[in-house]
Amino acid sequence: MLWYKAWLETRWRFGFLLLCSIALMALPPVIPAPQARWWIGFEMQISLLGAFAAVYMAGSGINTQTFYAATSGFHGSMYFTLSMPVSRLRLLLTRAGVGAVETAIVISVNVAESLYFHPPLGTTIQQIAVFGVRSIICSMAVYAMAVLLSCLLDEMWMFTASLIVVGFLYPLQFHNNWVGWLNPLRGMNLMTVPITAPMPWLTMASSVGIAAVLFWVSATLVRRKEF
Amino acid sequence: MSGAAIATHELLKSYRGKAALSGLTLDVPKGALCGFLGRNGAGKTTTMKLLMGMIRSDGGSLEVLGKPIRTEADAVAVRRRVAFVSEEKELYPFMTVGQTIRFTRPFFPTWRKDLEERYLKRFRLPLDKAIPKLSKGMRTQLMLLLAMARGAELLLMDEPTSGLDPAMTEDVLQELAALASAEGVTVFFSSHQLAEVEQICDRVALIDQGRLVIEGDLDDLKAQYRRILLVFNRDAPRELETLTGVDSLRMRGRTASLLVHEDVDGLVKRAQLMGSLSVEVRPVALKELFLDHVRED
Repeated sequence: MLWYKAWLETRWRFGFLLLCSIALMALPPVIPAPQARWWIGFEMQISLLGAFAAVYMAGSGINTQTFYAATSGFHGSMYFTLSMPVSRLRLLLTRAGVGAVETAIVISVNVAESLYFHPPLGTTIQQIAVFGVRSIICSMAVYAMAVLLSCLLDEMWMFTASLIVVGFLYPLQFHNNWVGWLNPLRGMNLMTVPITAPMPWLTMASSVGIAAVLFWVSATLVRRKEF
Repeated sequence: MSGAAIATHELLKSYRGKAALSGLTLDVPKGALCGFLGRNGAGKTTTMKLLMGMIRSDGGSLEVLGKPIRTEADAVAVRRRVAFVSEEKELYPFMTVGQTIRFTRPFFPTWRKDLEERYLKRFRLPLDKAIPKLSKGMRTQLMLLLAMARGAELLLMDEPTSGLDPAMTEDVLQELAALASAEGVTVFFSSHQLAEVEQICDRVALIDQGRLVIEGDLDDLKAQYRRILLVFNRDAPRELETLTGVDSLRMRGRTASLLVHEDVDGLVKRAQLMGSLSVEVRPVALKELFLDHVRED
């Protein structure tokens, strides 16, 4: 039933993200330009939307359900959640699991929409699918970072802090050194049209590693935290 | 300790160096309807969180329904048998009444469908109504329903009647009393409303600054404690402060007021020897017991 709760908790923000995604992708390019240029723009849009989705879907959870938050307009159901006969790890994993699946769906829809509305010349569906998969894998590092922050901060501050981190990481992905190669946002982006760049295995591996470490830290924090 | 619903021994808890509980020893027998009293910040909510395994103690021991809480697994096992109603009484705003019940039900194998239906009918809670549209009274009723229907053996309630109107307060109190007697559930609830506690509780525990001050059957306490009012023809003598067996002493001008719980006759005699013109001994109300034990002056 925790899955049921997590779905009810997140369905509106999930729906909102899908609507935003459709609205942004369906728009024709504002500035007439060669298609190759549009695609660079769309890819950036996809990666930013993916990062935004990862941050947005990681919100809520136990920490944001404080009474303090309730007085600020959020709900204060924390004690109701904590009075359930389930471990905190299970609470965290269920909520994070639902958010991760929803983030993956939003990114998949983004990629599918880009194909449908603005099919890039010379790129196969298979290449696009691979692009989608690696975007999802790399987005999990951003998602795990937002989950960790949601264990520490109220929703408003978690969201602000996460976007600051994404904003800080975004330009670093273009560095042609370890800072760029290990950057998860690099794996969610790809500046070639058609998509012919080799798979960024190193970036994907680092994203999976970062996500695993951050989830582990989140789980440790939630288990120890005194609400 | 194992026959008790709640048993704590020298329980310690502090937040950032500030003591919330300073050696709380508490014993609530099974089936009791126990009022948990104390000033704001006395440690009531901390005690309840510890009993639910939501936070960890810094020392001492505690048992809930005969089971010690040392690990998270212990806490999860205890939470299957204990219900907690927090002071805020907040539920998930993204659910309706029906969804909240459907969400809660599967966590408890001992769920009582008959009680669920009974309380839905009694409280007239609409299943399709969203939680934010419920009044605070209705939220309290829904929380009571969730607590009762789960078949809990122990009900912990942190100020269950705060924010309720008098009629709703009366309903909630009657339900608590009925539950304790009909289902044999132990009810442990904190309140600042001493009249409520006096109305339904058979037992009270009073804490101050994280320590137990009084605990026992309400009737026994009332029978035990006496107020001795003394009037002198001069200022009340300082020797009164040397009397042993006095729980609290207040002196104002020519009058003195003593709260005592043992050897009342002996104390009266000693006070008379100090020259009091009149002596009045009268029973005490719970409010007096509370105020005399927690007042700082």
